[in-house]
Amino acid sequence: MKRGVSKRIGSIKFACLSPDEIRKMSAAKIITADTYDDDGFPIEMGLMDPHLGVIEPGLRCKTCGHKVDECPGHFGSIDLAMPVIHVGYVKEIKKLLQATCKSCGRLMLNEDEVKVFRSKMDQFEELGGDTTDIRELSKDTAKDAQKQICPHCGTEQKKITLDKPTTFREDGHKLTPKEVRERLERIPAEDLTPLGIDPLSCRPEWMILTALPVPPVTVRPSITLESSDRSEDDLTHKLVDVLRINQRLRENRDAGAPQLIVEDLWELLQYHITTYFDNQTSGIPPARHRSGRPLKTLVQRLKGKEGRFRSNLSGKRVNFSARTVISPDPGLSINEVGVPEEAARELTVPVNVTKANLETLKDLVKRGPAPSSDPYLPGVNYVIRPDGRRIRVTDKNAETVAETIEPNFIIERHLKDGDVVLFNRQPSLHRMSMMAHTVRVMPGKTFRLNLCVCPPYNADFDGDEMNLHVVQSEEARAEAMILMKVQEHIMSPRFGGPIIGAIHDHITGTFLLTYQNRKFDRGQALAILSKVENVQLPEPDFQDKNGPMWTGKNIFSTILPKDFRITFKASICEKCNVCRKDKCDKDAYVRIRNGQLLAGTIDEKAIGSFKGRILDKITRDYGSEQARLFLDNVTRMAIGSIMVCGFSTGIDDEDIPEEATRQIEDMLHGAVNEVDRLVEAYKNGELEQMPGRSMRETLEVEVMRNLGNARDEAGKIAGKHLGIENAAVAMARSGARGSMLNLSQMAGCIGQQAVRGERLSRGYWNRTLPHFRKGDLGAQAKGFVTNSYKSGLTPTEFFFHSMGGREGLVDTAVRTSRSGYMQRRLISALEDLKLKQDGTVRNTADSIIQYHYGEDGVDPTRSVAGEAVDVDDILMDVLGDEAELLAKIEEKKVGGYATVEKDLMETGEEDAEEAGEEPEFETGGEE
Amino acid sequence: MAKKDFEKALQRKGLDNPTIVKISAKFNKIDEVKSATKVQLTEAGLDEEAIEKIYELLGVKKVKKVVGGKKGSKKAEPVEEPKMDFKMPLDKVKQQSDYERKLTKMAQDLKLKLPRRVVSTIASRIEGIEVPEAKVKAILKKAYERYVEHSMDANESAGIIAAQSIGEPGTQMTMRTFHYAGVAEINVTLGLPRLIEIVDARRVPSTPMMNIYLSDENDRKDREKVKRIASRIETTTVGEIADIETDMTNMRILVKLDEHRLEQHELTPEEVHARISKLRGLKTLAELQDNVIVINSEEPSFKRLQNIVDLVRDAKIKGVDQIVRAIIKKTGDEYVIYTEGSNLRDVLNVPEVDKRRTSTNSIQEIYDVLGVEAARQSIIDEAYKTLDEQGLTVDIRHIMLVSDLMTADGDVKAIGRHGISGRKSSVLARAAFEITAAHLLHAALTGEEDHLDGVAENIIVGQPVTLGTGAVNLVYTPVRRGLNND
Repeated sequence: MKRGVSKRIGSIKFACLSPDEIRKMSAAKIITADTYDDDGFPIEMGLMDPHLGVIEPGLRCKTCGHKVDECPGHFGSIDLAMPVIHVGYVKEIKKLLQATCKSCGRLMLNEDEVKVFRSKMDQFEELGGDTTDIRELSKDTAKDAQKQICPHCGTEQKKITLDKPTTFREDGHKLTPKEVRERLERIPAEDLTPLGIDPLSCRPEWMILTALPVPPVTVRPSITLESSDRSEDDLTHKLVDVLRINQRLRENRDAGAPQLIVEDLWELLQYHITTYFDNQTSGIPPARHRSGRPLKTLVQRLKGKEGRFRSNLSGKRVNFSARTVISPDPGLSINEVGVPEEAARELTVPVNVTKANLETLKDLVKRGPAPSSDPYLPGVNYVIRPDGRRIRVTDKNAETVAETIEPNFIIERHLKDGDVVLFNRQPSLHRMSMMAHTVRVMPGKTFRLNLCVCPPYNADFDGDEMNLHVVQSEEARAEAMILMKVQEHIMSPRFGGPIIGAIHDHITGTFLLTYQNRKFDRGQALAILSKVENVQLPEPDFQDKNGPMWTGKNIFSTILPKDFRITFKASICEKCNVCRKDKCDKDAYVRIRNGQLLAGTIDEKAIGSFKGRILDKITRDYGSEQARLFLDNVTRMAIGSIMVCGFSTGIDDEDIPEEATRQIEDMLHGAVNEVDRLVEAYKNGELEQMPGRSMRETLEVEVMRNLGNARDEAGKIAGKHLGIENAAVAMARSGARGSMLNLSQMAGCIGQQAVRGERLSRGYWNRTLPHFRKGDLGAQAKGFVTNSYKSGLTPTEFFFHSMGGREGLVDTAVRTSRSGYMQRRLISALEDLKLKQDGTVRNTADSIIQYHYGEDGVDPTRSVAGEAVDVDDILMDVLGDEAELLAKIEEKKVGGYATVEKDLMETGEEDAEEAGEEPEFETGGEE
Repeated sequence: MAKKDFEKALQRKGLDNPTIVKISAKFNKIDEVKSATKVQLTEAGLDEEAIEKIYELLGVKKVKKVVGGKKGSKKAEPVEEPKMDFKMPLDKVKQQSDYERKLTKMAQDLKLKLPRRVVSTIASRIEGIEVPEAKVKAILKKAYERYVEHSMDANESAGIIAAQSIGEPGTQMTMRTFHYAGVAEINVTLGLPRLIEIVDARRVPSTPMMNIYLSDENDRKDREKVKRIASRIETTTVGEIADIETDMTNMRILVKLDEHRLEQHELTPEEVHARISKLRGLKTLAELQDNVIVINSEEPSFKRLQNIVDLVRDAKIKGVDQIVRAIIKKTGDEYVIYTEGSNLRDVLNVPEVDKRRTSTNSIQEIYDVLGVEAARQSIIDEAYKTLDEQGLTVDIRHIMLVSDLMTADGDVKAIGRHGISGRKSSVLARAAFEITAAHLLHAALTGEEDHLDGVAENIIVGQPVTLGTGAVNLVYTPVRRGLNND
């Protein structure tokens, strides 16, 4: 094991291989098209020549003498009987042929023109032009150089055309690759620079191949099937074709066969070599496998999502990782993750053996790979000796291996509580999609996580799976702990607010606890507080006939920092015209002073993810550790209180009195009649046309507006009978789950179904369904659903509702792929930008993108909802002791973070929920 | 450009090697060398003679002053009011109040570099209340303290954070292309398609739109007047003001002008006639008879007749090109013209139009007419508006970074293979993004060298990236005790 300062690759230079180089680096000349002899041994000078490397274990490479995995493989080469054009460079070759003289080979530019080019080139260098600019410039230069008569020797030029993919013609005459090569050879090195070619890296004649490198066998291993048949790699197949034709071509040429036959074979060789490079070249049929599947040749191996670059180089499969279904566990801290024992026994952490830990580790090894203890105890899977040998620990050899351990050994220990792991859910759209957790080994087969981390991962428990990676080095562990731990990511860099926070039942729980003045007796109070860390039962608020009683607000205050103070409006606030503040009869004005909740209800606005104001302030003022503690405590308390209070919702929550149902029916009936009246008016041409709209459009707008109002009206009527004491309403209003719209659709009326923002219209000729008359423009005929989810839909309504639902599904499917691709492009464009020491943002070329990051240098994560500083808070801090001034300022308040209710993430949710589960992430539409 | 290229460029200029080494140790670009003062060059360890030579070879005429950064010019107080015949709208450029100026001065005296926005917020909050000066100072100090606390750390990967912050909410946006914005009559692309459009730097947005404000304070409150201007901007075709009939028997076309509609569009039959006469192939064929324009076909062919009908119907009589529809709507206390279709250059030439506030959603047009800085602002505004409309909060700094990157080169570049990603300096990064083979082949041809400065290329070769903790190197040699060195 070598350690120390790691080496870095300084740079990588790209260049073309010359035929000489190809031959020089070749370990074996390949001549025969056969691969193996009858005994199954590779044939010398064949494509599987043992000089090219080893793929079978146990054998040694004939070139370097190493074994499998040690020998990198060696190139071979094929001498081509006739030169062949490289498909990737046809455009370049065409450019070169057109821009240079056919007889003297010079670039057809006179001195002045060359000078113009030089000056442009210098300009680019000064201004930091990139490869694209230079490519464009050389393209233009090549165009300028297309002349009738060579300015150097006066030869008249003929027109060169390219017959795709690889045939060049001069005035209709075919140019053989040999002729092309001769011309390219004539181009002097100094004329290449203006054409965008570096003469030191690439001579143009090398673009016509005379020798073909044969990749090592390690690049194209053959697979032995169960039936002990060999199945060759696609590249090998293609090379066999090349060799076969090459051989025939050589024989025919040497035997003096007719020109026609030689030319045909030559073209066939060109085809095989073309498809060997790129099997998707336009204009020629792709080479196919016997089964009819197109072969995967060189370009196909590299490009696209499954190609070498994106699939194997930019991303890799890794060891020490696990994946399984996730499930919730409110008992865990947000920083923790529950790992099933089974997984913990496979995932290991390397531990260096030192004098100090020798004995403990020996004991550990003695336990072997599967200790059968009830409280889980970590064992050891492997022991690594200083020479790098890995010894697998088994139950049998555990004792003996344990005795051999000395300092400088490394043992691979099972996961145990407190280990640092990375936890990830795909799609990994932002940095909060991969965070560091500490391990809690648990029975069961699923990963367990705290509910508060669901929003950043965008996880739920309907079968979601997540990945877990065990970090393997001290550096990685340190970085993970300091930078990636969950508690460090409570604030989102997207909008400077908390992204990790309470959800669903947590919010219902605190709502039930703190709304109005709910009283709890000693037993209840203790039950609520039992799971909370570091608290004591506060003094009771008052005595009752049942003994001492505590208010919910008092209980909640126990987990607030002692000097905490904040004022804001809760989620249940009804936005009255005149705010009565502390005296709000809805209990929606939250006021906390000295860590005591004086008034108001704790709901989504206080502790929810995205919106939680208390959470936000604690994270900012007391640090992430305190925030973690608060979150853990508040969620445990919420679960406790929801259990004490009891909470249940069902379809009977949407029950409304018969009177109201009738009212809704009447109202809807009126609305439908109104639509009929509008349609009548439209048919008689009495409708008042809206400016810039046709009659028909005017009708549609009017109808939509009418029916929209009707739905809202129905919701309002139903809402009157649904008070906050109703469980479903409590959830909707406190922001725990669902919305009032959902409720009014259940209790009142579902409303108009739409596709593409219009009333339903497609289906049959002039009607949506055969249940209606042709040309019926009424409400029901075009998708208005008068029923509620609770009352049930008629068959036609059900059909219409499905139409609307389908659009939502299609929408999400399309959206995920489109937005995924957009994000990939954004990342690719912005990944290199870095904030330098001087506050500028620069790219890798060191050009300045921003002189001052964001014009004020403020980190969006630490910003206060985008503002550099929280002025209100500063004023409070500084003027805290001068209550009079503060009151004046408060009175004057022109708006600021504390008063302007900016709703983060208000919408969007709705649609996504309705559309149901989102399909797996995939990138779409590229190349 | 990377250091190597810079050195190469200097070499080509004819400088000798020792000088190049000295220069490249201090500067990164030829421009920087050119604009460097003598003092700076001497600091780089060059003697008088060498400096003269550099100036001569690089073609610097005289010692130039150090070019001031963008920051300086941006943050500068509004210089002189530019001479224009309209007033600066107050809402656009907020004048500093006296109190604010006083606070700014105070902050300067205390050597606190606070952003203007912070100062003005504080000012607006405490202005008019008698806060003792000591307290005000304390407030400023505290604000500065917090401001520094909230500043971004060096080596932070600002780009990736921005990209994620804009990309992530993309999944939550609607796909519905059409939506109604403000004016019910005009459809505007919103949501994800619009965001993609902005980032793509498309030449023409799928639904071009303009908001036209009027400069005259009285005019803009007068509904009728605004309506008239709107009708002047809107393209009017002959088909809109007349019924076109084909007279088959006499092989002629009758354009029956509608008096009412003519009046609405402030047109006279003569004008329409003149316009029709100008059409290609109809020079002498059209005659005005009362309110009917008769067009005789020169050749007796139905096809020709039909062609003429089409030609006449779509003939533009007045209005601005591209503006298909103009609708007025009251916003606040003034009427604003909203148009479908966009043509900023021509609309700005309409005398009544307020050139300050009138805007279009076509970023390319803004770039063409008003320049890059305007285009930059327009990208920020449009992207922010699009996200905001969907109820998604994204910090403006992220959007600014994207916009700045798109416009950094002086023109609007797209995010994607034709823009920024296709122009990266690293071959590997480009190959890993899209069109892999072409980039690799081209790199071999030009002998490109990948210096492995960026993220993608370092990941590909398997070494730490140069951002965040990877940007700093910490070397630690542990003291080995009791163990022999291997």
